[in-house]
Amino acid sequence: MKVAMGYSFKGYMRSDGSAGTRNNIGIISSVICSSTVTNEIASKVDCAVPIVHSNGCAQLGDDFNVTKSMLSGVAENPNFHSNLLIGLGCETNQVTGLLAAIPKVKPIDGFSIQQMAGGTNTVAKGVAIASEWSKDITNQQRTELPISKLKVGIITADMDEQTLAITTPVVSALIDKLLENDSTVICSLTRTLEPSGNLLAAKTKDMRTAEMLKTLSEGLNRRRWEKDESYALSVFTDEEKSLAAHEAKLFESNNLVELLDINEKPSDRGLYLLKSSDNIVETISNFVSVGCNVALIISKEGILATSNVIPCISLAPCNVSQTHRDHVDFYITQGNEEKQTVTLLEKLLQVSSGELTALEEYELGEFAIPHIGTTF
Amino acid sequence: MKTFGGYRRPDGSIGVRNHVIVINTVGELSALTRKIANLTPGVIPVIHHGGVAQFPEDHTQTLRTLVGTAGHSNVSATLVVGTENDPIAQEIYKVLRKKGKPVHTVCLNKNQKIPEILQEGRSWLLTALENSKKEVREQCDITELIVGLECGGSDAWSGITANPSIGAFSDMIVREGGTSVLAETTEAIGAEHILASNAINREVGREFLDIVRTYEHRIKQTGEDIRSANPTPGNMAGGLTTLEEKSLGCIKKGGGTPLKEVISYAGKPTEKGFVFMDTPGYDVESVCGLAAGGAQVVLFSTGKGSPTGSPIVPVIKIGTNPKVYEIMSEHIDINAGKIIDQNNSINDIGKEIFEKVITVSNGEKTAAENELNQEFAIWRLAESI
Repeated sequence: MKVAMGYSFKGYMRSDGSAGTRNNIGIISSVICSSTVTNEIASKVDCAVPIVHSNGCAQLGDDFNVTKSMLSGVAENPNFHSNLLIGLGCETNQVTGLLAAIPKVKPIDGFSIQQMAGGTNTVAKGVAIASEWSKDITNQQRTELPISKLKVGIITADMDEQTLAITTPVVSALIDKLLENDSTVICSLTRTLEPSGNLLAAKTKDMRTAEMLKTLSEGLNRRRWEKDESYALSVFTDEEKSLAAHEAKLFESNNLVELLDINEKPSDRGLYLLKSSDNIVETISNFVSVGCNVALIISKEGILATSNVIPCISLAPCNVSQTHRDHVDFYITQGNEEKQTVTLLEKLLQVSSGELTALEEYELGEFAIPHIGTTF
Repeated sequence: MKTFGGYRRPDGSIGVRNHVIVINTVGELSALTRKIANLTPGVIPVIHHGGVAQFPEDHTQTLRTLVGTAGHSNVSATLVVGTENDPIAQEIYKVLRKKGKPVHTVCLNKNQKIPEILQEGRSWLLTALENSKKEVREQCDITELIVGLECGGSDAWSGITANPSIGAFSDMIVREGGTSVLAETTEAIGAEHILASNAINREVGREFLDIVRTYEHRIKQTGEDIRSANPTPGNMAGGLTTLEEKSLGCIKKGGGTPLKEVISYAGKPTEKGFVFMDTPGYDVESVCGLAAGGAQVVLFSTGKGSPTGSPIVPVIKIGTNPKVYEIMSEHIDINAGKIIDQNNSINDIGKEIFEKVITVSNGEKTAAENELNQEFAIWRLAESI
């Protein structure tokens, strides 16, 4: 939709200036031990979304910090109207610590099963609190907001050169359009893109980012702890480098502001890269944590994964011989790029205004936190 | 010879439950897997977010855990949800077929729409559920039992009441010819010399010391002090002051029987008797490894009160003090606090645990089963790629 002032969508304005494309209540478990109770509370309250995961205890250092900052980031996501934190009580990732870390810009509460003397009491109290917030949600209306309020995550998965050849011109033009209109675009930096670190380094004025990107192009750089902590470095093949060069064309005409680490929020508007992995659920969840309110997932045949917090529009190339999958929201064909870019932008604005994606219709959202250290 | 009523499987193993499960191979299929289970009441979802973008050590460990879980003797039939040409789904299918266990894979196929996938999964599961109802328990020898030993949310009473009582139970079941598997390598740190000196021979003792050393080395590599995560805030609130104190209490779950074998995470014991499995101290990951390694029942002592269970094995909770048993009774099966206020001996509670293991193996539900606590998580060894 385009109004006199420019492109817009209908969303929920938050008190910190961010905008939600959905208006839900996050019921967030601090640790896996409280996940069953968390799920039960969410199942009994309208608009409640359970955020359950495998982490939260027996974690050290950076690995623990990632879990804590990810949950804090998810709570801050503008698609949540309010948040209820549920812990066990004895875990490393204490609810009190999370409450202290999350900015108080919307309704929030939290307690633990041990504090409440059992799951039954915890569910009863949790349902009572979240039900009040749910009543508030039913009274709220979407308002017309400028497209600059969108933080769009762009995630690539299961890539090959043919997919990139068909999808890149349209997605790249969409990125241009979003940036021209002051939106924020955050793109996944996965293994397939890493070999093009040198190419990408030339697109940023940020010296730290340029140095990091150059290092990435030297080889796969991830931590392992089987015996002790080490970095696995492996040289990329020519085929991998060629694929990466194709993927880098997504950002051809734009400057990169910064390379963001896991859970690191963008400091301003513009184009960012976010350190990601081929574990699509962890990657989507990372986008939620850094504040994206909508995402596009580009894949060869349509990935059957989405977030339970933000709508993810599934994009795939359309081949004549291909069977259309019911979980792909938008097929891109070769040619006629300008028209397809306009249609894709319209789809983005419609979904941001409340239209459900295919996987939202099936209620297939997921959440997971990556590990950057082993558990102890 | 003591017996219990179990399910004899085609491969000769004995189950104490007759679950029909649906399990995903990769994280992106977790929501679809849960949806299939929700459409089929009575079916248990086993959900995880690994299986993809993993280094070889994680891939191997994930696969071993998934195969051990899907093929567990407590499982009557398994539906595997995978991607097209999914190697994990193929491996699970191959192993389970060889065991003679009913198994079916629903692999995402280009020509199938989501409702068709849901329908295919539901239809197979409904038949599997019907078939499982025809299977009957038969009297089985207690030597067939493998019992995992775990503690979580420990307090200062853990090492005085519940853990020594579990140790008394462990000695009893080993005397009867069964197997007990102690876990949580982290929680042996500081007390490893005691367990090692109790090993059946020097080689087993050395293996045990090696896995503890590897753990300590990993911890040092993080630049962190393990004591910042363990004892946990809850352990300290419960009166534990150091990891060594926690470990001295933790290893008491092993009793006095010689340590026969050290096995890897989700590995199967090759010996009967007292065994140690290399797992983290993170309860859910540890219980998941014990179950995947073949334990049919897990004992779990708790001082602060923990509700967690397992999707496939009954987890028996043993409260360490009268207060936790009183206020968290919905999550706890046995009150070892009677040692404190009712003049029960450690041996009395050990016998009570033994009787409980038999009745639970016969089919009695545990608190965690009643509350549908079915947490599942696989220990990770490297970052996602």
